[in-house]
Amino acid sequence: MITLRGLTKRFGATVAVDALTVDVAPGRVTGFLGPNGAGKSTTMRMILGLDRPTAGQALIGGRAYRELRRPLHEVGALLDARAIHPARAGRAHLLAMARSNGIPARRVDEVLDTVGLDGRAAAKPGRTLSLGMGQRLGIAGALLGDPPVLMFDEPVNGLDPDGVRWVRQLMRSLADQGRTVFVSSHLMSEMQLTADQLVVIGRGRLLADAPIDDVIAGSAVAVRVRSPHPDGLATLATRLAATGATVEPAGPDELTVTGTTVDRVGDLAYELGVRLHELSPHGASLEQAFMELTADSVEYAGGPTGSGAR
Amino acid sequence: MSTSTLPDTRPAPAAFRGAVAAEWTKLFSVRTTWWTALAGLLLMAASAGQLAIYAANDNTNDDPTDDRGIVAVGSVLIDSVELTQYAVLALGLLAITAEFTSGTIRTTLQCTPSRGRVLLAKAVVAGTVTFALGLLLGGVGALIARPVLGEWGRAPAGDTIADIVALATYLALVSVLALGLGAALRSAVLTLTVLFATLMIVPLSLQEPDIAVLNRIADVFPGVAGTHFLAGDTEPYPGAVGLLLLAGWAGAALLLGRAALRRRDA
Repeated sequence: MITLRGLTKRFGATVAVDALTVDVAPGRVTGFLGPNGAGKSTTMRMILGLDRPTAGQALIGGRAYRELRRPLHEVGALLDARAIHPARAGRAHLLAMARSNGIPARRVDEVLDTVGLDGRAAAKPGRTLSLGMGQRLGIAGALLGDPPVLMFDEPVNGLDPDGVRWVRQLMRSLADQGRTVFVSSHLMSEMQLTADQLVVIGRGRLLADAPIDDVIAGSAVAVRVRSPHPDGLATLATRLAATGATVEPAGPDELTVTGTTVDRVGDLAYELGVRLHELSPHGASLEQAFMELTADSVEYAGGPTGSGAR
Repeated sequence: MSTSTLPDTRPAPAAFRGAVAAEWTKLFSVRTTWWTALAGLLLMAASAGQLAIYAANDNTNDDPTDDRGIVAVGSVLIDSVELTQYAVLALGLLAITAEFTSGTIRTTLQCTPSRGRVLLAKAVVAGTVTFALGLLLGGVGALIARPVLGEWGRAPAGDTIADIVALATYLALVSVLALGLGAALRSAVLTLTVLFATLMIVPLSLQEPDIAVLNRIADVFPGVAGTHFLAGDTEPYPGAVGLLLLAGWAGAALLLGRAALRRRDA
């Protein structure tokens, strides 16, 4: 369980994270979505005690990270796949991590096996690792202490399709084992496939914290209506507009209706006796929901909000 | 989850032992460590050889005012350290600045969130390794200087061993000083510049006009204090005071580094 209470981070005049209050629950994959510079990485760094919050707190199982004495047994995290000494072999990197927390060396080989890095890849110095191998090494490090809480910052970056599928399955199985899994991503489609719960932020503010199905359902659905009878279509358009829906002609025999549902358009067409050739919902994807949620927050993005590139 | 209900009861000494083991693993898993040790060895061999040649030449040339008489091997070693230390202190320096450059400081602090514990573990490892390296350097320097000095040299076993141990202690403390400064300044180049100024440039400039009050100020600097300790001086203060001054500088640098690590974002 990760608990954020009024978590705030300011860099000078810029508010990178703005009073976030979120509970990340165990047993499911929680996606952490937001445009670049929204404050995702900063939030994760504060959870790990790397960045000091300006206000509020981030707790893991009720305690601040800096108080933990065996943190790798409590939280595993992949922050930056590039964060390995250029001359140090991947295995030595993991071995140093393991020793710091009293984890036996054989566990290093176990996690290397889990992430699919063989002995030769693990013996290569950090500078020669591809981004994909770096991601796998980072995930191996997160798994070292068999922790109940896992955090991954953009874990599928640089992975090939096989790797992406593997990460997806890994997240799922970790959550199914009852662990807390908190994954950030800017890939909305990826979240749609892996996440159960979504936490969406924009410009450091919480925009949504809800089950993924609710987020999608809450987005505006456009309804496409096609009819061979122009007169009937015009009548339908008038009646729909009267109920508060927005109607736009999409062609001589077609309408795009927003602000209503497919069911209500269908009922109305039946009532008016208008013959329909098509009645379909459009754009009910996480992608669209995300765009709508973050529309205001990306508008002003582009300034240094202190996330990502550090 | 069995681990989720496990209380965080690991005692502090175990956490510290873990941090030391991790630092040890990190230090010896990069080739830089060995190159640094080799550079130190070569510098020591060259310095000790050269200084021994100078001493022998001074005694054998025609100018009687140059005559240094019989020179102790230990004094050649102590003079050789002035240059050699810059290779050796890199071990302490890089232990922290390389972490900032590569971003591994975040991994390190994830594994050991206590900043003081991380820095102390690094100090123990860097101090131990540079002490051992210092013993090796002293031995090699003595083996080179003794035959070069020939009839003009003397190397009583007890004194020479004491000099070598003192030299190793000096190097260990200077590398801890470098570590602490590196944690505060983060950049290797900046830290090396500050070290060069503190160990050599500033005290030399202070001593240059030979004004009593400026000399007294220079005596407090770590490099000068270390020299008084190594030389076993009685003036301006006993050698032991020099050792304490140098240790104080190293301790202060660690405290400064810890404060910086605690306060600043990683």
